[in-house]
Amino acid sequence: MTGPQSRADTRKLLEVRDLRKHFPIRKGLTRRKVGQVRAVDGVSFELLEGETLGLVGESGCGKTTTAHCILRGLEPTSGRILFRMDSGEVVDLAELDESQLRPLRKQMQMIFQDPFSSLNPRMTLLQIVGEPLLVHGVASARQRRQRVAELLELVGLSPDHMRRFPHAFSGGQRQRIGIARALALQPRLIVADEPVSALDVSVQAQVLNLLMQLQDKLKLSYVFVAHDLSVMRHICDRVAVMYLGRIVETAPTEQLFSAPRHPYTAALLAAVPAPDPRVRSQNEPLSGEVADPADPPAGCHFHPRCPHAEERCRQQMPQLEAISPGHEVRCHLARQLTLEGVEIPAAKGSS
Amino acid sequence: MPPTPMASDVCTPLLSVRRLKTVFPLDEGTVIAVKDVSFDLHAGRTLALVGESGCGKSVTARSILRLLDRPGRIEAGQVLLRRPSTEQAGPETIDLAKLDDDGPRIREVRGGEIGLIFQEPMASLSPVHTIGNQLTEAIRLHRDVSKCEARSMAIGLLREVGIPQPQQRIDFYGFELSGGLRQRAMIAIALACRPRLLIADEPTTALDVTTQAQILQLLRQLQAQHEMAILLITHDLGVVAQTADDVAVMYLGEIVECADVDTIFHDPRHPYTRALLKSMPAMHATNRGRLETIAGSVPHPFQRPSGCPFHPRCPQVITGQCDCQAPRLRAIGESHQVSCLLEEAGS
Repeated sequence: MTGPQSRADTRKLLEVRDLRKHFPIRKGLTRRKVGQVRAVDGVSFELLEGETLGLVGESGCGKTTTAHCILRGLEPTSGRILFRMDSGEVVDLAELDESQLRPLRKQMQMIFQDPFSSLNPRMTLLQIVGEPLLVHGVASARQRRQRVAELLELVGLSPDHMRRFPHAFSGGQRQRIGIARALALQPRLIVADEPVSALDVSVQAQVLNLLMQLQDKLKLSYVFVAHDLSVMRHICDRVAVMYLGRIVETAPTEQLFSAPRHPYTAALLAAVPAPDPRVRSQNEPLSGEVADPADPPAGCHFHPRCPHAEERCRQQMPQLEAISPGHEVRCHLARQLTLEGVEIPAAKGSS
Repeated sequence: MPPTPMASDVCTPLLSVRRLKTVFPLDEGTVIAVKDVSFDLHAGRTLALVGESGCGKSVTARSILRLLDRPGRIEAGQVLLRRPSTEQAGPETIDLAKLDDDGPRIREVRGGEIGLIFQEPMASLSPVHTIGNQLTEAIRLHRDVSKCEARSMAIGLLREVGIPQPQQRIDFYGFELSGGLRQRAMIAIALACRPRLLIADEPTTALDVTTQAQILQLLRQLQAQHEMAILLITHDLGVVAQTADDVAVMYLGEIVECADVDTIFHDPRHPYTRALLKSMPAMHATNRGRLETIAGSVPHPFQRPSGCPFHPRCPQVITGQCDCQAPRLRAIGESHQVSCLLEEAGS
């Protein structure tokens, strides 16, 4: 595993700049536009080669919309999505049309959340995993069979099961099928949208281990979308916390968990129930709810729920500011507040 | 004001499930969803039923309330609900498993003495009735009050579960509320008749973490106020650690280990409980560390393994014993029961 130092030297694979996605709200007979939901409102981040970046936040924060925009599953309203191709050339994915985008799709793939609805029940594993190969015309029928067998083995399934249909497999196995399909064209970027949240905890661990193994083996880069912070803790190198369509904090994982600087990050960390009855939380949980993204509060979007909010927060939207290298926070009070993170026990070995 | 319980009442459990067996006879074969499950629920305490999907935890809850989907039925066992003495009658014990599942007696219990919260508040609230309609219906089914009184009681309940502006929200429909408020409304309906037992089936699974923390705190407060017993069904061990007093771990329809919460987390004895705890991604773990896993997955219910149900996945399996001899749940300490041949050999 490479340390953060050598990681910084590797080149950027993906750079998202000021990405916005607004959904119109239409009403009445003429479907006139009466407002808009700012699902993603100025998101910027970069992903280095071989790195895992986590996008975390509660439902409605825009993390999934961001993920879909990167792969152009959704049309972004504005912003740039700079992707460095394997030839070394940098392209803006947001500007390309469908035909220009198609050859690039080989290099970026998606893993979906629900292993039950993301696999066609009327196709066999051979057809499902082999479909990307067929679409991109990269293999003859025999080569395809061979490649599918390799892929199934790679994700820990038996190639003998190639003729079976998805219903014959459990949730964890189906998610492996989805991963094999994503890997078929040897992509460099994988966008994984909540890949383990539909799985039971024992199976979830298997799939997370598989994703980490594959990354080391195939030099993959992940954009990992999830709402579960403990999963993030395990798999991500860096984490970006989103709230109401904006990134409020990004930091290397260890730093984000041990020393969060945004009150929302701290509240999220405190809300995760500790799996130990001896440390029962005495903290008051964060009050209130996520505001309506069609009508966000003025100033800092988080101020109505923030225990530290002051006058400035109600009027002025804070900017994302670097407080140390690699640690950016969108909070007026980032430098003043001391927030509680999660204690990290001194090198206990991997347990 | 309920009469103060006598000394003997304190230790008598509110509800006792004894050797419950629930089966689903299907065309392809019979699925034993719950097998020989026994546990007690005490006033003011929370028992968590924990396990992965398909382990029978929800079916257990539905068996207690006799809400099984067809063709499921209780094949054996008892579900004993104890009623305190009232002015009209002395204390009595009724076996819910023997009642007609559509009769008036079980309906009196459902929503009256036992409240139920489901996982998905959107699917369990009626889309064509307001929250107020559904609340007053629950109240008037079990209590003889006028519509007007029921409405003011409903507003009181909404306030109690922390819904802001209850006078207005009472006329909202379920879909007009956010996930957290919807779940609060569900809790208000479940609590409408001050049940002595609340069954919460994955009450926070569909919610965000900050909302989950709010709902769990609310449940704790309400339990302390009303001395309710709670049967909490969940797969989230974090939620268990934070809310339960006692824990029963289920695997393939059987309870494999049962103990107080501290013992389960700090001295687990069954290999499945241990594996489950280890495979949990922890917040304070090292970054990119390999997670412990349990080999394989939960077997298909038609292919129930012989002997111990966990033996094909067990890291400590004794070949020749675990696959032919079914272990029995036995006490290995004060309020600690395990069903494992390793423990039988050890004692």
